[in-house]
Amino acid sequence: MSVFIVETDKAGLQKFYEEIIGKFETYAPVEKFDKYDYKKVSNLSECNPDSPIETTMSLKPLFFPKTAKIMKFQEDSSGTTLSETDEDPLAGSRVILGVKHCDARGLQVLDQVYNWDYIDTDYQKRRINTVIVSTRCDKAGNQCFCTSLDYDVENSDAHDVRIVNGLDGKIYIQGVTEKGEKLIKSSSIQQPASDGAKDELSKHYKAFDASFRLKMNYTEVNAKLQKLFDSPEFETVSSNCISCNTCAFICPTCHCFKISDEKIKDTGVRYKSYDSCNNGYFTLMAGGHNPRPVKYRRWRQRSLHKFVYYKERFGMNLCVGCGHCAISCPVNISIFDVVNQVSKIMQ
Amino acid sequence: MDHSKQIQDIASKLFAENKIDYFVGYRQNAIDDSQVPYLISDPAEIPRLVFTDRSVFNLANYLKPEHTRRKRVGLVVKGCDSRALNLMLTESQVKRENVYIIGICCEGVLNEKGEKAQNCIECVMPDAVVYDEMIGTPTGKREYIVNADIKELATIALEKRADYFEDIFSNCIRCNACRHSCPLCYCAKCCIDQETSTLYHGANTSSGAMHALMTWSLHLAGRCVDCRNCEKACPSHLPLHLLHKQNESVIYENFQQHLAGMEKDDRGAFYKYSLSDPDDFIL
Repeated sequence: MSVFIVETDKAGLQKFYEEIIGKFETYAPVEKFDKYDYKKVSNLSECNPDSPIETTMSLKPLFFPKTAKIMKFQEDSSGTTLSETDEDPLAGSRVILGVKHCDARGLQVLDQVYNWDYIDTDYQKRRINTVIVSTRCDKAGNQCFCTSLDYDVENSDAHDVRIVNGLDGKIYIQGVTEKGEKLIKSSSIQQPASDGAKDELSKHYKAFDASFRLKMNYTEVNAKLQKLFDSPEFETVSSNCISCNTCAFICPTCHCFKISDEKIKDTGVRYKSYDSCNNGYFTLMAGGHNPRPVKYRRWRQRSLHKFVYYKERFGMNLCVGCGHCAISCPVNISIFDVVNQVSKIMQ
Repeated sequence: MDHSKQIQDIASKLFAENKIDYFVGYRQNAIDDSQVPYLISDPAEIPRLVFTDRSVFNLANYLKPEHTRRKRVGLVVKGCDSRALNLMLTESQVKRENVYIIGICCEGVLNEKGEKAQNCIECVMPDAVVYDEMIGTPTGKREYIVNADIKELATIALEKRADYFEDIFSNCIRCNACRHSCPLCYCAKCCIDQETSTLYHGANTSSGAMHALMTWSLHLAGRCVDCRNCEKACPSHLPLHLLHKQNESVIYENFQQHLAGMEKDDRGAFYKYSLSDPDDFIL
């Protein structure tokens, strides 16, 4: 990991942001209907890269869009002709500002599945051409638990550029990857950080870690859940779930999708868009059999996929502890509570 | 408004007399002032039941088949929730003998910011209209108000109105939380989920969202009771009430001041066809 760090202050950081927005296609948290989401911005005043409020949607839609055209088709007397869509996944390079640890980690987790047996070239292209700049995560939100999971938040390499608060109004901008280092070098902020920077960063992390309301013993939860497929607790924890798809759609790592056609007369487009295992029809088979017709089976799948199966297959936990799902859930179900309650490790 | 004690007492009584298999109420959320729907089948959990002005969610939603599986249930309903329940009873979705209804004379609930919720300001019927037991003092029916945002909607020229909604719906993520949180959306398979259909495709385009939400709002026209469960459930915070309140105001004006679910066995404006019904509001 690169240790390229520069030092600046609040005004310098604003300038850093402005320069990026001036030079690159930039996405940042923008407020609409009292909530934040990543949107394309052309001016720093439109957005708030330092927003302490979590964005409602994760970073996922910028890499795995809500809806993508996968092909076009035309039917005539000779049969069906298929053609490529005219959509370019990402023309040039872009920068995303104001990204939290959890969101950035979400992409690392998604990389595993997108680089697995089938390589999703559109996703790869978006990933390579994007530079991710962190937000200054100072204090944990009510539903955050990223520091309790299986990744090292302090030395995370999920961002390309990390921005961290130091003491006395100092702000450190750290290039984590080559892409990030290049971005910092192209800016006018060039004052190298003083020798004490590393200590300050670790002190900052300790204070950040201490601000978490939610802590879990990940190793224990993971070990216990492996044996709890038949636990009756899944029925209790899912009793008030209304089976909407919100948690999966806004999750940084949920990656299930469905295929649907929009057809007018003989021509049409085939779309790929989000789907969710909490949806009652998700596992409905052509013959009419549905292995997960009831809520608790769907919740079992969701919890175990997040905390057991993905870890077994790819060595990473599928849940990144962002708390987006708990914040947006209409009935306030939190995956943190669910896995703790099922594994009977109450905090 | 704190009826927690009374609700706990009634729930204990119902379990003791074996009148219900489970009870649906609210419990305090662990992290903030908000409350969560709480389904209990064990009387030992009764002390966690609460009811205050934070008891927002419309619990009639839990009478849908996927939650109840035909068991006897005790349920807490506010004015708007009871209207939804009334419609579910009328539309044969729930058997009256299977629900024990605890009606509340509601004084209005609070929104996330701690202010009185907008639908409570506009509320026409704060008292439960169907109940086995009533808590609180009834205050009676109130005057129907058309709020400023709906009046403003009517001033937008027709050709611009589509753009206005297109702009709002472009933020929709098609999660269908609105539909799942609506007690009156009980279809076993919703028309907008027909994935083999090319008319209602499941894709997340803004025209797809527009199509789905417009269809949804028309299926609820004359049935929506303005509980705003959908709007509170929406992760994108879309102002979904605009669709429903607009429909409601047109129906109120044109169909003998009809309001959904107010009376027993009232099947709604669109079921009562009369040759003298006006049609000049139809585009």
